[in-house]
Amino acid sequence: MTTTTILRTPADLSACAARKVAEEAALRSRVPCRILICMGGGCIASGSAKLQEALAQELTKQNADRLAVVRPTGCLGPCARGPVLVIEPDGTFYQNVAPADAAEIVSSHIIGKKPVERLLDKNAATGAVNEKMVDVEFFRRQTKIVLANCGVIDPLSIEEYIGREGYAGLSKVLSGMKPDEVVDEMKRSGLRGRGGAGFSTGLKWSFTRKSPGEVKYVLCNADEGDPGAFMDRSVLEGDPHSVIEGMAVAAYAVGARKGYVYVRAEYPLAVERLGIAITQAREYGLLGADILGSGFTFDLEIRMGSGAFVCGEETALMTSIEGNRGEPRPRPPFPAQKGLWGKPSVLNNVETYANVPAIMRKGAAWYASYGTEKSKGTKVFALAGAVNNTGLVEVPVGTPLGELLYDVGGGIVGNKAFKAAQIGGPSGGCIPRQHLNVALDYESLNELGAIMGSGGLIVMDEDSCMVDVARFFLEFVQDESCGKCVPCRVGTKRMLEILERICSGKGVQGDIEKLIALGEQIRETALCGLGQTAPNPVLSTIRHFRHEYEAHILDKHCEAGACAGLVRAPCQSACPASVDIPGFVSLVGEKRYAEALRLHRERNPFASVCARVCFHTCEAKCRRASLDDSVSIRAVKRFMVDQEVTIQVPEVRESPANAARKVAVIGAGPAGLSCAYFLARLGYRPTVFEAEPRPGGMLVQTIPSYRLPREILAREVRMIERLGVEIVTGMRLGRDITLAGLKSGGYEAVFLGVGAQEPVKLGIPGEDAAGVVDALAFLRQYNLRGSVPVGKEVVVVGGGNAAIDAARTAIRLGAKSVTIVYRRTREEMPAYAEEIEEAKADGVKLKLLTAPVEVVIGSERTVGLKCRSMTLGAFDASGRRRPEVSLETEFIMPCDQIIAAIGQRVESHEIFDTTPLALTAGKTVAIDRASGVTSVEWIFSGGDAVTGAASVVEAIAAGELAAIGIDTYLAGESHAFWRTNKEVQTSFDPDADPVPFAREKPPVIAVDRRRNNFDEVEQGWTEGVALRQARRCLRCDYGKTVSTERSA
Amino acid sequence: MCDDCSCNATAEVSEEHMLEHLEGMLDEYRGKPGALIPVLQTAQTMFGYLPQKALRRIAVALDKPFSEVAGVVGFYSFFSTVPRGKYLVRVCLGTACYVRGGQQVLDAVRKNLGIDVGQTTPDRLFSIGVGRCFGACGLAPVLMVNDDVHQRVKPARINELLNVYRAKEHADAEAKK
Repeated sequence: MTTTTILRTPADLSACAARKVAEEAALRSRVPCRILICMGGGCIASGSAKLQEALAQELTKQNADRLAVVRPTGCLGPCARGPVLVIEPDGTFYQNVAPADAAEIVSSHIIGKKPVERLLDKNAATGAVNEKMVDVEFFRRQTKIVLANCGVIDPLSIEEYIGREGYAGLSKVLSGMKPDEVVDEMKRSGLRGRGGAGFSTGLKWSFTRKSPGEVKYVLCNADEGDPGAFMDRSVLEGDPHSVIEGMAVAAYAVGARKGYVYVRAEYPLAVERLGIAITQAREYGLLGADILGSGFTFDLEIRMGSGAFVCGEETALMTSIEGNRGEPRPRPPFPAQKGLWGKPSVLNNVETYANVPAIMRKGAAWYASYGTEKSKGTKVFALAGAVNNTGLVEVPVGTPLGELLYDVGGGIVGNKAFKAAQIGGPSGGCIPRQHLNVALDYESLNELGAIMGSGGLIVMDEDSCMVDVARFFLEFVQDESCGKCVPCRVGTKRMLEILERICSGKGVQGDIEKLIALGEQIRETALCGLGQTAPNPVLSTIRHFRHEYEAHILDKHCEAGACAGLVRAPCQSACPASVDIPGFVSLVGEKRYAEALRLHRERNPFASVCARVCFHTCEAKCRRASLDDSVSIRAVKRFMVDQEVTIQVPEVRESPANAARKVAVIGAGPAGLSCAYFLARLGYRPTVFEAEPRPGGMLVQTIPSYRLPREILAREVRMIERLGVEIVTGMRLGRDITLAGLKSGGYEAVFLGVGAQEPVKLGIPGEDAAGVVDALAFLRQYNLRGSVPVGKEVVVVGGGNAAIDAARTAIRLGAKSVTIVYRRTREEMPAYAEEIEEAKADGVKLKLLTAPVEVVIGSERTVGLKCRSMTLGAFDASGRRRPEVSLETEFIMPCDQIIAAIGQRVESHEIFDTTPLALTAGKTVAIDRASGVTSVEWIFSGGDAVTGAASVVEAIAAGELAAIGIDTYLAGESHAFWRTNKEVQTSFDPDADPVPFAREKPPVIAVDRRRNNFDEVEQGWTEGVALRQARRCLRCDYGKTVSTERSA
Repeated sequence: MCDDCSCNATAEVSEEHMLEHLEGMLDEYRGKPGALIPVLQTAQTMFGYLPQKALRRIAVALDKPFSEVAGVVGFYSFFSTVPRGKYLVRVCLGTACYVRGGQQVLDAVRKNLGIDVGQTTPDRLFSIGVGRCFGACGLAPVLMVNDDVHQRVKPARINELLNVYRAKEHADAEAKK
């Protein structure tokens, strides 16, 4: 259509809609398919304009113009998968479509009627392909009111909007409702302001309506300044007429004739599309004088922001429209009394107005049927950050956060651990993982110290430092503070200075309290909303993540590896033992293997052990992963230790004075041996008492030799002995020695490294029957005594490393079938992913979402395990979904042996005899985190005894910390010379491009050659591979001189 | 950029030329309430920045003290009183981009161009700015080069990204020869 019809009456509008619908139907009968291609800002950035062109060309080229038309539409939502498109009437959803895919879409789908499978959505869990948009998890759980037209209509066509009942709401209002009735309808709908504060929209309108005055204004806040929020942008770009219609209804209700939309300058496309929409509405007579013959006059103007965040505050926004510096004004008077140019004004945001047409059309009761008691309707959220399905989603108010993140959002990128969701931008707060069940409504969020805000939801994983995030927001607010009032201008500056100090490692005791006091003062005294809410991100992170603040201030450690001032390289920062990883990896890259190994042993004596069994948090933090994949640090280490001919020992400082002092270490596990090693390097000659016949603790008792060959361990234990450490085996605390006895025997300090060896019981009937055994006892008996009874049909209960070790050991000892029963899913299993893979390769079966109920006993022996199927329900405090019974029906797994591997705890503390040690709430030994000292000044502790079952490298780090603690206690000051990073001279060109080699895995021996023996499964690389892999390191440490010393 | 003629509007603008452009536009806005900011926005689009002479002219035309005009210009971060490079590289440091590595992207851009935020390269080709969310959070980290949005930017790939613009400039220069 080229000529524009002015719609003079409601009947004209209906006729126009009917004509458009008929036109569409006619088009469909001629050209059956429509390719709806997303032209939201995100997809355009991903190249959807080129795709549109390519599709149009292909249709012509393949003579398919009569089969399909290409239609640009607004935002469909899943930005991360862009460019996306939908083919109607089939409802097929394609994602990550490149222009090169256009030919196949046309030939296969449009002509051949066969969907292009590789471009379809796949269910992450089952791998099943979802052809229809309605089946895609991301869309399936959404309820679209505000976004109903986004991704469906062409935003540049007013007729398409009218064809979908557009302006029918306005028409209904103008042809029969009194302004007061409109206000009442809005009140009844329960709609609350979607800009942040959540004030009742109907009430707001009624204030402006009641306000006396000839001239009033309707204002739309489209200055969506909260970083991380882009719902208003998408509505303006995808369905601009809904905002115009909503504003017109508001104008009619309050008695205004003029409106302004204040859009931020960062959204040029939104400005452009809204401008086109306003022109069209004028042409159709839907803006201007005497709209639809009702006598009602209303027109709109766009005002662009100029990059000032504070202009999103209502009074500042009005000052800015007036042409001034956008500084806020004190309230009262409120905008309803004195707003723009001193006239009564009503101000709502884009999303609020976009709700109005549907409410008018379908009625308040319909709208109020969505949402919760106090918060009605739906809310659009902008999902961003570390979540798989970033983009725009609309769900009923009150949807639990976890559902939004995991079901709609598809979970965390790279299966990392969820840490927090930041909601509400710089005025909001964060929600930690123990509150994943929180309902997303105004009240529930306020209770947690967050706010709904405009709905920007930034997901953060373990790589985000919460102190740094707070600092980021304060920097933002400080930068954007208009400077009018002192609390905001100066107060936030002082807060920022404190946070910057903490993040650079110069925090001091009392900083947290100072931040809280300042924050509360600013909250009470600042002039406008921006200032009053500025401290929220800080107060909220202190509330939920105080331990991170403390780690920065006391330990000078940033767990996430984000604070540049505290992190030399993210891998080293992530290593509990703080091994100089870039150092040894780059030395390996230059074939300087002995030097590399000595550098490793500066901080961790068990290089060969950790090369095999370490859980390598370093790799999880490797920055190379942002380029392609992390460096195989552990495998590089494996190659390095394989090159050791003569044992490499780093610097040892002899000290006759220290050698004369008696120090005892109880327990020859990794913590105890590490403590002894570092003490020996300071010249002490500690004695290690070990209960079992062989030193090594868990390394020798439970870790099977196919993972850690015994001679490898023995070699490193011998190295420690050679430094002057005496290891006495067969000496059990409480039986052969006592703490008090050691004291009276002249030992001046004792390190208690007794581990956590007591099994947690299954707690089900029949667990004492013959055939039920604890995993640690099972492994220990085999590893120390050389044989253990093993069943034919074995069931292992648990999902941790002990469960995997027991299962793979049972396979090797000849069990016919081994099944691991675990009550959650594979993703939640605490065991290392590689180990689970290898176990499956060995033939171990996994029975997931299954919980044991009872041991079935026949003729006094175990004959089966009665189980129940589980489903995952709401989130628990660990951020994992809690298993719940799905069906009451139970089933029996026949078996003759059950190995329980559901956890271990510190042995009963009676062994500590007459020396009472303070314990934690979890019944582990309480220590001072800086020195490892217990409640008794001469007893130190570390490792599993303190943490509960944890990793080898954490135990090694704890041993080192306690060694320094003991030295400080005995000698009056610390002499930990190894804590100063050694300068490593390796060649590195910071300007060269990273080497292009891909990450490689270490080789493993074939399954048929390993199933019946305990030969080491994993093998080392050849030198060529190792050198290439080592050179993949990006050298994050280059030019950095961060002290990794943690303050004592 | 100036579209009306072949002048190089990113460089210093001559006085006559500037006034000629301004007058027409000012006539349109004279007497309208709240006109100052739209006028400044249009002027900046014309010249690429806001020269002081233009600001004085605007103050007179809108009957406002120069101090008020300067105050408004100083308040809003989009206004610039110094010439910018042909390509303004704005790195987003909104929350989503920040948690996905926006700071590393900014560092890489700074290193690559050898200038700091707010500065322009000696050849007047690039300037660096910082953005507070372009609303492309789903594709973080992002940066904008003039109006082009680049998504999921990797710090190690900055050189490639900027080379496209360098090549474009080089091709333009060759074509002129």
